[in-house]
Amino acid sequence: MINYVFKRILSVIPVLLIVAVVVFSITYLTPGDPARVILGADATETEVIELQEKMGLNDSPIEQFTRWFGNLLQGDLGDSYFMNKSVMAAFADHFMPTLSLALMAQLIAILIALPLGIFAAVRRGSVLDQTVMGISLIGISVPSFLLALILVLIFSVNLGLLPVAGYQPLTAGLDMHLRYLLMPAVALGAMQAALITRMTRSAMLEVFNNNYIKTAHSKGVKEKKVLFKHALRNAALPILTVIGQTFGVLITGAAVVETVFNIPGIGQLIINSVERRDFPVIQGVVLLISITYVLLNLIIDLLYGVLDPRIRLDKK
Amino acid sequence: MRNLKSILLLVVLSVIALIIVGCSGQENGSTNTDSNSNPNPSNNSGETDTTARTEGGVLEFAFNAQPPTLDPLATTATATRDFARTMFEGLVTFDSNYQIQPLLAESFEVNQEENQVIFKIRKGVKFHNGKDLTVDDVVASMERWATKSAQAKSFLPGITFSAPDDETVVAQLEKTGFVDMYIFADQTQIAAIMPKEIAQQEEVKEYIGTGPYKFVEWKQDQYILVEKFDEYVSPEGEPDGLAGKREVFVDQIKFNIVPDSITRVTGLQTGEYHVGNFIPYDSFQMLDSDPNVEMKIVESSMGGLVFNKAKGVFSDIKMRQAVAAALDIDAINFAAYGDEKFFSKSPQLMLESQIDWYTDAGSENYNQKNIEKAKQLIEEAGYNGEVIRIITSREYEDYYAFCVVAHEQLKAIGLNVELEVYDWATVLEKRQNPDIYEIFASGWALRPTPVQYPFLDSAGAWPGWTNSEEIDSAIFNIRNAQSAEEAKEHTVKLQTAFWDYVPIIKMGNSMEISSYRSNVQGFDYFIGPVLWNVSIEK
Repeated sequence: MINYVFKRILSVIPVLLIVAVVVFSITYLTPGDPARVILGADATETEVIELQEKMGLNDSPIEQFTRWFGNLLQGDLGDSYFMNKSVMAAFADHFMPTLSLALMAQLIAILIALPLGIFAAVRRGSVLDQTVMGISLIGISVPSFLLALILVLIFSVNLGLLPVAGYQPLTAGLDMHLRYLLMPAVALGAMQAALITRMTRSAMLEVFNNNYIKTAHSKGVKEKKVLFKHALRNAALPILTVIGQTFGVLITGAAVVETVFNIPGIGQLIINSVERRDFPVIQGVVLLISITYVLLNLIIDLLYGVLDPRIRLDKK
Repeated sequence: MRNLKSILLLVVLSVIALIIVGCSGQENGSTNTDSNSNPNPSNNSGETDTTARTEGGVLEFAFNAQPPTLDPLATTATATRDFARTMFEGLVTFDSNYQIQPLLAESFEVNQEENQVIFKIRKGVKFHNGKDLTVDDVVASMERWATKSAQAKSFLPGITFSAPDDETVVAQLEKTGFVDMYIFADQTQIAAIMPKEIAQQEEVKEYIGTGPYKFVEWKQDQYILVEKFDEYVSPEGEPDGLAGKREVFVDQIKFNIVPDSITRVTGLQTGEYHVGNFIPYDSFQMLDSDPNVEMKIVESSMGGLVFNKAKGVFSDIKMRQAVAAALDIDAINFAAYGDEKFFSKSPQLMLESQIDWYTDAGSENYNQKNIEKAKQLIEEAGYNGEVIRIITSREYEDYYAFCVVAHEQLKAIGLNVELEVYDWATVLEKRQNPDIYEIFASGWALRPTPVQYPFLDSAGAWPGWTNSEEIDSAIFNIRNAQSAEEAKEHTVKLQTAFWDYVPIIKMGNSMEISSYRSNVQGFDYFIGPVLWNVSIEK
């Protein structure tokens, strides 16, 4: 088990190396100059050149890459051009809102999706099944920003129940924290709920056709026990895979919802950094997101073993 | 069949729900705005009667952009300008007619030899750190401004500052000119007075000024918080533009950074924000019908198409004149702004309220819609089907619309036009290279003097690379004028040359819409939001 984890972590290194080179190349080749963005549209060329020199932007790409990569090997991702702080600090500041949002969205998605998926599978072909599948189809099809705007219109503008936008950290109180996160989490979780519902349904249906389920039924095992102990547990792996993948998407792909609800998360950090050409932040955050993705996949792999003793890694 | 019925039922229910939601809350059609049919900053003063006003509260401002820095001299970005002037003050400022008024100066005058501006500094003014304002602070700050501000470097080269006594600061020039005081009062890179020890640093990281609000916190991408400066010493006089008495009623102003315009709008509707800036034009109607929201529409910037005059087809003046002759600017403005409320058909470089400068000279060359003349000029220029590349960005929808409509209109007169769309940062870079485009769209905040527009002066080598003897000569004469009359005479020549040489095609002036809740009193907009004299009533 430990060997496996160690090997997986080691295998991340070449991935990160490739990511580092690709991200650096893309940011270097992308037109746009942070010095011009900092100085504003009316700045003179002399001022721009002075600032470019100061920021080291006129150095050759090899020099810039060597400097950046050298620092990276020492664990230093550099400093933001705009934020007066290190990339790591900027990432840490923006990670907590994203993590809170992703966890809440995932929780909402699971709470909606698992029961619906299971019931749809049990009542296969019924009106309930078709309604659930219809709703999940809408869930997959409606873009999160549209759902976000509809939620704002209903719950903020018309009913005045929830704040339009913003973010309050946990330190402001759990109540405040949840009030600000509820709508974005629903907007973000709806599509994931739809995906998980469909996956749960199809995984359960696949398991229902297995002989051990028929055996359990014929032995007179209670329906509930068959459903949750025998069927759901065996259907858990594909469901877990989808949950893991969707969580990765929630962590890294919430940019649109974060923008609509003005949540200072990783998605917004990336968008702002691209707009203002804050190269160290773009490079650093993409690297950190890659690491997050790899770690999430590792955790999911390890969870497979917990759920299914047949694929426990230490027995390999 | 049952499937179909279920799906239809769902669709119908969803549509009904959306209609109910969409219709509710829009029933109140009362208008409670002070938007102006002929708006300009001079007649857009908000309520400035400061009697019996409520004190306290946090003014929640939904602000559209994060400033790159809070050091007003480190950037020309307007976002920085709007924050900076709540905290920092200069020696002089503008009233609503763009006349120069003292701020930290008690008075100012030009000496008889016309080579010095003598400022008497107000007594008893304190910095946010509790320290008294001294002439040494003023000299250090003005020296920093003289070396950092693009305007100061360009218009006041070689300027030095000294303090002959403890209440006087002297700006020494080779020769003073009529525009000098406008440069001292310019808001883009405000001549911020700060403590000497901070002003002498290369990079300002402590934001300590003498303004009505002091800096508390900047949470990147979230908010900037400033609070009432209890020891603030205000200038005297009726509030007018940026001049006159500045009173602070609110405890704090929280500038929430809200880049998404819909979020700013909905936040104003729900009362989560008291003030919002850069309200999108298509949200005007919705907010205007809300009895709890007031609107302020102010002429704030000009926009246009800039020709690359260094290389390519538009290095030929006839080609530029052909485009000026051909364009239907009315159609372009309607495409960009949708309604006459949101733009003014203004060929002039200056606003009518800028009484020292306003002139109609050259206006006959604006919005000509003369296709025959355009074709004639194209023929005379010997145009041979060369590709005309227009570069633009969707980040500024009005500039993008300029380009899309101009693209179609220019194609219609036989020009081989291509539209290239990038993000704004890319446009900023590409426009520096004369080999890769012919036209780009841009905009400029309205300036106190005509000579400050970067597209006019050949010395600035601003993208587009204007190089006109007539324009340079008019600018030189305005800068060296000794009276308003003399400056005006040369402004007429400048504007005539502008429409003859056509460095850019000016489309007009665009409006900036700010909105605020009805319980906010005293909100004004003049070269940006004016946030002193603002209170939140119960």
